[in-house]
Amino acid sequence: MTHIHDRAPDCTGYSEKLLAAYAAGKLSSTETWSIEAHVMACATCRSDLSAHVDAERLTRNRSALLVRLATGEAGLARRLLRRCRIPDYLVTLLAATPSLRRSWLLSVAGVLAVVTGEAALVRYDVTSSVPGGYIGQDFLVPFVLLAPLLPLAGVAAAFIPLFDPAYRLAIAAPFSSLTLLLARAVSALTAAMIPVACAAFLLPGPGWLPAAFLLPSLAVCAIALAAGTVISPLAAAIGAGTLWALPVLLLTVSHLPLTIVGWRGQAICAAAMLAAVAVLLVRRDRFEFGWMR
Amino acid sequence: MTVSARTMAATVTVTGLSRSYGTTRALQDVDLGFDRGITGLLGPNGAGKTTLLSVLATVAEPDAGQVSVFGLNPRIKAERVAVRRRLGYLPQELGYHRHFTVAGFLDYMAILKEISDRHLRADEVTRVLTVTGLERLAGKRIRTLSGGMRQRLGIAQALLGSPDLLILDEPTAGLDPEQRLRFRELLSDLPGNPVIVLSTHQADDISAICPRVVVLLHGQVCFTGTPAELATTAAGRVWAASKRDESVYLSWRGGDGLWRNIGDQRPAGAQAVTPTVEDGYLLLSHAAGAR
Repeated sequence: MTHIHDRAPDCTGYSEKLLAAYAAGKLSSTETWSIEAHVMACATCRSDLSAHVDAERLTRNRSALLVRLATGEAGLARRLLRRCRIPDYLVTLLAATPSLRRSWLLSVAGVLAVVTGEAALVRYDVTSSVPGGYIGQDFLVPFVLLAPLLPLAGVAAAFIPLFDPAYRLAIAAPFSSLTLLLARAVSALTAAMIPVACAAFLLPGPGWLPAAFLLPSLAVCAIALAAGTVISPLAAAIGAGTLWALPVLLLTVSHLPLTIVGWRGQAICAAAMLAAVAVLLVRRDRFEFGWMR
Repeated sequence: MTVSARTMAATVTVTGLSRSYGTTRALQDVDLGFDRGITGLLGPNGAGKTTLLSVLATVAEPDAGQVSVFGLNPRIKAERVAVRRRLGYLPQELGYHRHFTVAGFLDYMAILKEISDRHLRADEVTRVLTVTGLERLAGKRIRTLSGGMRQRLGIAQALLGSPDLLILDEPTAGLDPEQRLRFRELLSDLPGNPVIVLSTHQADDISAICPRVVVLLHGQVCFTGTPAELATTAAGRVWAASKRDESVYLSWRGGDGLWRNIGDQRPAGAQAVTPTVEDGYLLLSHAAGAR
């Protein structure tokens, strides 16, 4: 057993001046390594050295180290965002977005998998029972309905206060609410559009289907954000979702749900998106929450 | 000094402040001034303390009245942001991102307080963790913390950036006696002599750390002054007796086994005792309730 005052066999001791310089970090790297190698084995010199260590500085350094370790933690979303060269501070802010969390993204992927799988099964059954192999578009209805609504849900979760437990703290902070909102909305939209496009690619539909939902999704999200400057964010999201769902369901009656993402539908979505963006720009101050009813 | 004279000279002022929620009037024509140092807000639940603090923290807009924070008007957007740059705020119901670690949450809050440099943030987070005694918990998930620890974390985030105006809504709620003592010490030792406004139900918090106290009742200011002045309002009306007296306004048994009675008439066999801040506050509450 090593006693605290045990001296290493080859120890001749260090001068007080040298130990003080080491403790203050003023020695060259060679001298530092030499002393460190020795004090690891010599309890007497460790004890002598401890008298020169600034305990407060040591505690401060330890805390700083703990903080660096705790804040440097990188989840899946953080690693992806950093890879996209998004500034570190923005990555931290986005990490608090519920719709960028793994559980949310897995839910989106799960819903799409079910809808896509069901569509594929229905199409297979119908095709095998219809002479000539022609089928309508009805099997795509659930996907057409959901494709823009999933990104909308992600964006809504990024700006509805209910989903941000630290909402009141964010209001009282000087960071721009609009910047925070837009950064979260764009990232949530992007994160949801990737699985939507993948699912559309796998679906047995027309070749342009994967790209067909980009504009409608942008339009629905922009409408929700713009409406959020007038009514409550939750009502705005529900309203925007209804604006999409109603025409889809009406077109389903005529067995042509894909019409809504055809060229006319795309043109209407583009116009609606531009109008919503204009409203958003004009009324952007309404997103600077706080000091309002 | 009168309220209006005090308001004129103060660093943070509210004048004619009113705010309603539906048909409930949370604040009614409130005039107050807050100087550098600690001001304690006392009042029962629903007295308007949280509403007043929300307005000072630029989180809620008043229906009527003026607010001035270091000469800035929060009604103007640029000035509101300027107020927020000098503000530390602990709301009564503090929400946390539960998946965050303690240091991660503070890092997040430091970004919202516009400390964008990563190294500066780490230093600032380290500082507030140290002053609130949470440095050993830096890597812990918030969901694993006790209520008292979370409250300390809330205080820590309010201290980020060394604010000039610190609004603390019931900061000692959930803290054990030792933590409360440490919190009082922490507030008293804050550098820069900020304006601190805190609300509490604990009269002993007021006596211990607040040079000034404001009593809010039914959305109105009922008292402003020092804790000693508040205690004095009950002078000659606090009595210790061996039994409860039905003729007094308030009566409760103390830790010494004696009944503490507050009333205008001396109960039979009772002795007059020196009033405390709590006595003064209870007497004011009773008077307001009787009106």
